[in-house]
Parts: sequence; C-alpha cells; structure tokens
Amino acid sequence: MNREWTPRIVAFVCNWCTYAAADLAGTSRMQQPDSVRIVRLMCSGRADPQFVLEAIANGADGVIVAGCHPPSDCHYQEGNYRAFRRFMLLRRVLESMGVEKERFRLEWISASEARKWVEVVRSMTEDLKRLGPLRRDEEGIKVE
Amino acid sequence: MNKLKVAWYWCASCGGCEESFVDLSEELVEFFESADLVFCPVATDFKKEDVERLPDASVDVALINGGIRLSEHEEMVKLLRRKSKIVVAYGTCSSWGGIPGLSNLYNKEEILRAKYLDPPSINNPTHAVPAERTRLTKLGANLELPAFLDSLLPLNAVIDVDYYIPGCPPTPEVFKNALKALISEKLPPKGSIIGASDKSLCDECPLNSTKPEKILLKELKRPHETIADAKKCLLTQGLLCLGPVTRGGCGALCIKAAMQCTGCFGPLDGIADYGGKAISFIGTIMDYSPAEEEELERAYSKIKDWVGVVYKYTLPASKLGGRVRREKTKRQEEAEIDE
Amino acid sequence: MSEKPRIGIYICHCGLNIAGTVDVEELARYAASLPDVIVARDYVFMCSEPGQNLIKEDIKEKELNRIVIAACSPSMHEQTFRSVLESAGLNKYLLEMANIREHCSWIHSDRRKATEKAKEIVRMAASKARYLEPIEEKTFPTTRNVMILGGGVAGMRAAIELAEYGFEVYLVERKPILGGKSAVIGYISPGIRGKEIVQKMFERIRGNPRIHVFTQAELIELKGFAGNFTGKLRIHPKHVNERCNECGECEDACPIEISNEYDFSLSRRKAIYKPFPGSYPEGYIIDDRVCVKCGECVRACRRKAIDLDGEEKLIEIKFGALIIAVGYDPYRPSKGEFGYGLSDSVLTLFQLERLLDEDGPTRGEPIVRGKIPETIAFVQCVGSRSTTPSSRPYCSRMCCTSALTNAIRLKEKHPEIEIFFIYRDIMTYGSDEGLYEEAGKRMIKFIKYEGEPPQVQITPEGVFIEVTDYLLQESIRIPVDAVILSTGMIPPRDLGDVIAVTRATCGEEGFLREAHIKLAPVESPTRGIYIAGSVSGPKNIRESIISGSAAAAKAMALISRGEVVAEPMIAKVDEERCSGCGICISACPYNAISIEEKEGDRLARVEDALCMGCGTCASACPSGAMQQLGFKDIQIRAQISALSEVEGK
Repeated sequence: MNREWTPRIVAFVCNWCTYAAADLAGTSRMQQPDSVRIVRLMCSGRADPQFVLEAIANGADGVIVAGCHPPSDCHYQEGNYRAFRRFMLLRRVLESMGVEKERFRLEWISASEARKWVEVVRSMTEDLKRLGPLRRDEEGIKVE
Repeated sequence: MNKLKVAWYWCASCGGCEESFVDLSEELVEFFESADLVFCPVATDFKKEDVERLPDASVDVALINGGIRLSEHEEMVKLLRRKSKIVVAYGTCSSWGGIPGLSNLYNKEEILRAKYLDPPSINNPTHAVPAERTRLTKLGANLELPAFLDSLLPLNAVIDVDYYIPGCPPTPEVFKNALKALISEKLPPKGSIIGASDKSLCDECPLNSTKPEKILLKELKRPHETIADAKKCLLTQGLLCLGPVTRGGCGALCIKAAMQCTGCFGPLDGIADYGGKAISFIGTIMDYSPAEEEELERAYSKIKDWVGVVYKYTLPASKLGGRVRREKTKRQEEAEIDE
Repeated sequence: MSEKPRIGIYICHCGLNIAGTVDVEELARYAASLPDVIVARDYVFMCSEPGQNLIKEDIKEKELNRIVIAACSPSMHEQTFRSVLESAGLNKYLLEMANIREHCSWIHSDRRKATEKAKEIVRMAASKARYLEPIEEKTFPTTRNVMILGGGVAGMRAAIELAEYGFEVYLVERKPILGGKSAVIGYISPGIRGKEIVQKMFERIRGNPRIHVFTQAELIELKGFAGNFTGKLRIHPKHVNERCNECGECEDACPIEISNEYDFSLSRRKAIYKPFPGSYPEGYIIDDRVCVKCGECVRACRRKAIDLDGEEKLIEIKFGALIIAVGYDPYRPSKGEFGYGLSDSVLTLFQLERLLDEDGPTRGEPIVRGKIPETIAFVQCVGSRSTTPSSRPYCSRMCCTSALTNAIRLKEKHPEIEIFFIYRDIMTYGSDEGLYEEAGKRMIKFIKYEGEPPQVQITPEGVFIEVTDYLLQESIRIPVDAVILSTGMIPPRDLGDVIAVTRATCGEEGFLREAHIKLAPVESPTRGIYIAGSVSGPKNIRESIISGSAAAAKAMALISRGEVVAEPMIAKVDEERCSGCGICISACPYNAISIEEKEGDRLARVEDALCMGCGTCASACPSGAMQQLGFKDIQIRAQISALSEVEGK
C-alpha cells in the first residue's frame, strides 16, 4: 500500500449536460485525476439508487450523480427533479450505513461547464483520498 | 406413493415461522398424509447426530427458517444441505435476513454491549458477556457456546438455496402454494420464490384502484399520527406503504387492517436491492423541486429511521449488507502499519 | 436473450489521439480476454472506410452479434458505427461505445494509468454489451409545416425558404413588427444596408400565402416530438385594424411620450406609433405597456381603426419542426464604462448608425450635442473580449466591420471630421479586410492598445480619451467631440422564457448551444428543433441569413419525408411484472404513461410517440417492470459490476 492510492469514483451522468461537459473537458485537454468511471444515462432521472449501491458494492469509493441544472436545463423537463429527490433520501440512508456524505455527490453540470466537471472530479478525488477506501468488512454475502 | 421426507430447521428465528406451520390447522392432517418430518428441533427431539446418520441426499426437502447468526446455524445448514435434495429458505429471515438483519448496522461488540451491559434493567456486576469458551472454575470444566458471527447472513450466503418462501411469517396460503409447487411434476426454476405472487402487492391490493392518476406527496406520516382512511390507498394519504415495491401473495392482510405494508414479502425478481428501489420510488413521488431542498429535508426527517423503513427485512441481502466498515479490515490495518 | 453473445471489440488509435497515451495493443490483448469476446482488434482510424470494413467483415465472418467500439465520444461517431452494424445486417443498437478518447487519452498523460483506465472502460462497455438487445425503430407521420420563433433576418430567411418549397410556415415574433435589428441598422456590405434586405424579405413574405405571421405573439407551451409538435401561442391584441391608412392623426393626439427603442433611445415616440417608414406588418401600433387608454387616439381616428379593448388570444398550432431565431441584444455598457451614460457625447455604435440613417432622428446627419463633431473616437471591443469586468469574453464578430463601415460613411459625408479608431486587434475577416484598407486611405487614425483599455474622461473642459499607444509606447490624451462605443452582442434578455418552453440548452456564454458545432450545426440537442441567427452566438447579417437557410434546409430534411423515426430507446412495460401501481405515471415528465384495464388487470401503458426516452420511469418502477430499451437495469448493472474485475473466459 505504499504506492499512492487513487480512489475510484463512479459517475452516473446524463447524456445531454454532464456527459457533454466531460466530453468538452476532454476536447479541451483538461487534465484530470484518473479516478472516475462514467456511466452514461440519458437523464439523471434514470439514476436508480440501486445503481449507486451496486457501484459501492463493486468497489467504488465514491459516487457522483450529475445532470442538467434545475429548474429548466433538463433535456427531459424534470428528470433532474426526480434525481434530486432520490439523492436526498439515498444520501440519508447511506449516511446511516456509514457512507460519509463526501462519498456521494449530486452535481448540476451543464454541457458547457467542462471546468466545473474537472473541479468536481478533482475535489472529490481529494476528499476521498482524505477519507480513504470505502471497504466492507465482511466477505461472502451473495445477493439474489 | 412415497411420503415426502421433510426436515425443518430453525436458525435465528422468532418462532413466527414455526407458528405459521401450526396455522395450517386442520390441513396439517393433509400435510402429514403426504410428508414425514424427519428432523424438526422445534417439535421433536432430534440431535445433530441423528441428522449426521442420515444418508446424503436422503431428505427430500429441508425447510430452513431464520437467519444465520451463530456458528451452530452455519454448521447445521451445511449439514442439511448435504443431506437434502432440495433446500428451501423458509420465511423472510432466511431469505434476506429479516428484522434481526438490522443488527448488521452494528458490530458484534456493540450488539453484545447493548444486550448485556448497557440496558438499565440488567444487573451485570461482573460485566459478563457470552463468550465462546468460559472456564467454570467451581466445576473445573469449560463451557462452550457457538460463536456469535460478525454479521447476520441470509441462508444463501452460507449454502446453496433452491427455493425461497417469503413472508414474516409466510401465510398458510403461501405455504400451501409453495408445497404444491414442490410436489408438482415440474419443479419451478432453481432460485425461484415460491408460493407468492410474481407481482407487487398493489396488484392484489383492494385499494389500488383508489389511487389518483399521479401520486405526489408533500408530507410523510407515521402510522400513529393519523387515522387512516381504510378505503383509500394508504400511500396517497402520506403513509409510507411499501406495497408497490413488495412482492404480493399475502392477500394484503395489513392493508385490510388499515396498516401500511412494511415489506415483509421482500423484493420482486430482478430487483437488485429492495431498499434502493424503495428509495427510488419514494423519491419519485415526493413533490419538491431542487430549489426546495430544506423543505424536502424537513419532510424526510419526519421518518426517524430510514434504514429501518426501507431495509426492515432485507438489510443483510442488500448490496451493502449493513453498515460499512463496522470493523477495520485487514487491509486497513496493514495500511496503518505501512504508515 | 437466448442467443449467446459473440462480441467484437474494436479499438481505435485515432491517429495518435488515443494511441499516443493508451497502449492500444495491450488494450486489444486485454479486450480479447474478456468473456464472450470473439475478436478484439486495434486500428489506426476505426471510423475510416477501411476501419469500417474491418468491422463489417468480422461481423459476417465471425458471426459477431455485439460490437464494442473503443474510440471517441458517442456524440461523435455513434451514428457512424450504428450504420456500420446496419450495413452488415446487424441491428444497429447492438453497439456499445467505450469513450477512451475524451474520457481517457485526452485527459491523462501517464501511459500506464491511462491504459489501465481504458481497460476498465472497455471492460464495462463489453459487460453491458453482453446484455444488449436489438431495438426496432418505429416511425410516425410528420406534420409538414414549421414554426419559426423570431422574425429577424434569420427567421424571415428560413420562412421564405420553407414557404417557397411548399411548406406552411408560422412565423412568430414577440415584437409588433418583423425585421429585427437589421430593419434599422447594419450593412451587408458598405453598399447594401440591412434595411434594404429586410424590405425585400417583407415583399416576399407579404406575397406568400404559406407564411402566417403572428406578431406580438409568443410560444408559451410546446408538446410533442420531432415531426409532431403542438405549440400554444399567446397573441397580444392588436388595437389597430387594417382600416388604418397611417395618416398619423392618432399619434398627434396621443399624450404619452416615451423613448424610442427603434432609435436606440435617441428620439422619443408616442404610445401609439409607427416604428419606422416601411415597417411591417403595416399600420400603427399601440404600446400596451405605456398606453393609459385615455381614448384620445380613438377620437382622433376618422377611419375608426382603433379599438382599445380586446383580449389575449391563445391558439394551438401543430407543426413538424421548430426554428428558434430570436436574435440577440446589444451589449449595454454599465454607467461610466468608457464614459457611457455620463455625457451625451458618448454614443454606442448602434446609436451612431441611427444618426447616419436618412430615416433616423437626425435625417442622416451625425449631430452630437447639437453639432457635427470635429473629432470622433471609436472605441472597439466594448462589452467584448473582456475589456472591462462586465464585458463578455468572446469577440462579437460584427463590431470591427460595422464600426469601420460607419467611420467610412462619416468620412464620405464629412471628410473634415477627424476620426480616431482605438482598438486592440482589427477583426475585419474575409473580404471585409478591404474596409480596413479603405479606412486607412481615408486617413482614419488607428491607435492600437494592449492591456489597459482606453479611458474616456468627461471633464468640464470636454471629453478626452487617454490611451497607451502600442506603437509609440506612450500614453496619449486626445480631446474628442464624440465617442462611439463599438458595443457587442449578448444573448437576448428574454431567452430564458424561450428556453423554459422549448428546453433548448445554452452554452457558457448564454447563447443557445448547437448539438455539435461541426457534425450538427444549427441543430439543437432536441431533435426537430433548430437554431438560426445570432441566438447561437454573434453573427453578422450575412451569416445570420445563411444560418436561416441552413435551419430551413434541416427542418425540410426532417419533415419532407412525411415520417420520422421515433425515439428508439423508450420505456417498455413488462406486463407479466407490472402491478399497475402507477408510480411510473408520477415519474413521467411527458404524461406518456397511463393505467389501462386489460383483462381485469391494471397495467401501465406507454404511449410510444410521447415517450422521449429519459428512463425516469424505469428507475421509479418498484417492480422492475418498466425498463428503458438500451438502458435496462440488467444492462447498466452489468456495466457497473464490471467495475470489479470480471472472470476471464
């Protein structure tokens, strides 16, 4: 464990705003930590809390759900509203289960906000480095 | 026709599942016409050795209820697995962990402390807690107890499970349906949930048709805060009815008593995490915009124990299994040494 | 799905764009080891003809049934590769893109780390690909007409194109008249004024029965989807009817006077007024924002053309495509910015143009504070290129050309006026460079500065400009009689209303964003909605007209076939699992879901044509019965669970 540890972040992002922002960050060659794995959804409203839990169960140290700015940027009118409400409840539950607030973020990042995307990636990576890995203590629980 | 050889074992159980068997009442006669109980510690005096003596795969069906909490449970279910052709997780605890599974929010030490040291009603001057080995000095003997495992596990975390019968406890109706499935010519596919419905509770709920087109809630209510209208969908009254996310088959017993569904029949097929799905659907119907974060927080804070609500019966089988990092992992300890 | 997955993974070098940072050979070797992968190859340009053929041949020879392309963003080439699958006889939705360029090679420099990350991205994509299913596309008939928001040059041009090709057009303008800003200012070239073009367009519109003009109207609701939109228009009452012969007696009678926006506040007008000679639609207009309904005009009008009553009308219109061409607003300097608002000697370029207009407040004479100035200074980049804190970062494109055109006109009229042109860089691109030369010949004095912008000093002794001349490398102070601020363009102030209704999205500067600057120009991210003119960023009149034509062509391409392919990745109900709980209905932003009785069962039903494919209902569905095609639970979960190492073959 001497090598510097890089946290793994799974980002569930909407196709229209945040995915495009991450694309723009790429096109603009904005260097970023290599911590993030992006799962593209059409809308942040598709981000099922089950996916977040699945990501954590599969080794994610942090999860981002990101979509278009409310109230009216959402390509699907109000998908981001649903994402917001679910996020607020899921974060409550995760906190009660020992997943620190910093590990689960909801962000509104528009297609043009490449800079903001990079900032989110960077600051969350820093936060997670401080918190250390999110590991489960027991092995062998099969689901289903 | 040969009688079905049935074994019945209880792990961390409250006794409700056993009770549900008795609830078959006169149909028990029918049951015993087609089946023999070859092992059933709750009703008959069998020892582990009796089971060990049985030839492997000689038991037709082993019904196992309760979650795995002690090393004894682990040992016994592994033994029964060897001796049985079919293993059925009977009831919610065995299938997903059940209510005792909420103990996975705490580690072993916290649980023992809460049970044996902290309660004001307990007089425990020597601060004794159960240990695997206790030296009984006066008798000059050792007392051995089964180990208390790190967490409560559903049955399938320990052994291969063929079928699941849901319910806390399963209703006699569900049990009968399940038995029918087990003795039918064509067995259901392995891993199936038997005896219950393939759809959520709403499908059989008499109040389903009373729902408005869109359900949007501003406020959540706890059952003691309101007198529910028993003729109107409870969810639309702000009561957190988990019927939409819970497997049907119970006959909507609670709903018929104006009590919201708390989810004892567990998730439907294909649902990866019951609590996650519950959060998703509840979040969907909360009528707040991102500009109303405080108001939404206030509405959510009405429910004091969200984990206890959304994972009441399924925490050990959930994606996280319980509280993360209840104890430091080896890897973390190593990491600390490194530093 | 019963068919066993046979996956082909294709890794693009993208020249050195990917291969320069990611070890593509190692990635290909790794990809080949993943479950169900039959073949994994790397190639220099997968999107090239030979690259595409490589995939096609493999699909046929190796009987591949799932394709993973590890290359650029799906927004770049997903369509390209879908066509490849299609032409190889495979359903085009059996494709998964792994973005290892924008999300990997371009943002990392450590080759080892980037390669490891690329492996994970490919692994996740391959894992999802195993669960992909063919999706059948549905088509819907289209409404063969178009709505255009904004009646400036871009909107009018689009309207004319469409109408002349036989489509019905609904041209919707918020203001009482068409023409936009080009009706009062602007040049296409020094010889041709914007207003001349606008007048010609009025002629074409007036004579075309297919163009339905709605002024004082706004779109307040938009429903439906590409090819089948329904829009609701709110139309403000017109108080003056077609009996008006523009005699002007009402105007004389009107007691209300306010500043005239058509002259950029250089003149005043009445509450009942005609904006400028030749404005269209013809006739007088009552400005309801200031009219007190005193009735003087009604009494003055001999033809009984005025009616002060009347209510807003709401009408619904069906159309197949929407073009947004709502233009721009001039940048308005804040008070004191280059002396703006502190002295009548400081004007904007827009105001100068009105002064030089024969129909303007001074009948074409550049009168500032009662006289023709002896010295005029133009200050460039006001509101643009971050000259001041409130200024925008971009170049507004038209100001250099426009300022030089007007400077030359001033010189033509009054060669004796001394003109200083204070600038950082002259952006007279293309053939407009000739203006720069012309200005030099006419002895316009160019003063270049860098860094600190010039200071406009308003003193009791007069107006001075202090600037550090870059060539002289010293500070100079010039007394001037007039200062012209070459103000740039900003997004229109009411664009927010348009965005709220149309769900168009804006970019960093607040202008509307095109779906892709190269691959989908004039298209908004929403299919069937196009963007024309300066609402997508500063443009001169010529460029706005061109984009109007382009948007019209795009709209025609959509609606002329008579049918459109519906959104394929829509929600689908598994009726075996649906309990009719109705949670999905609360989730749907489009009211596309309803509960239906089917053989005694309550079941959710998705109206395919209304579903836009956001998938919000799928995550809401407590039974897992509602699934989004292409983004099913099982597919996304496979993608996530591949985060942890999967077993090899």
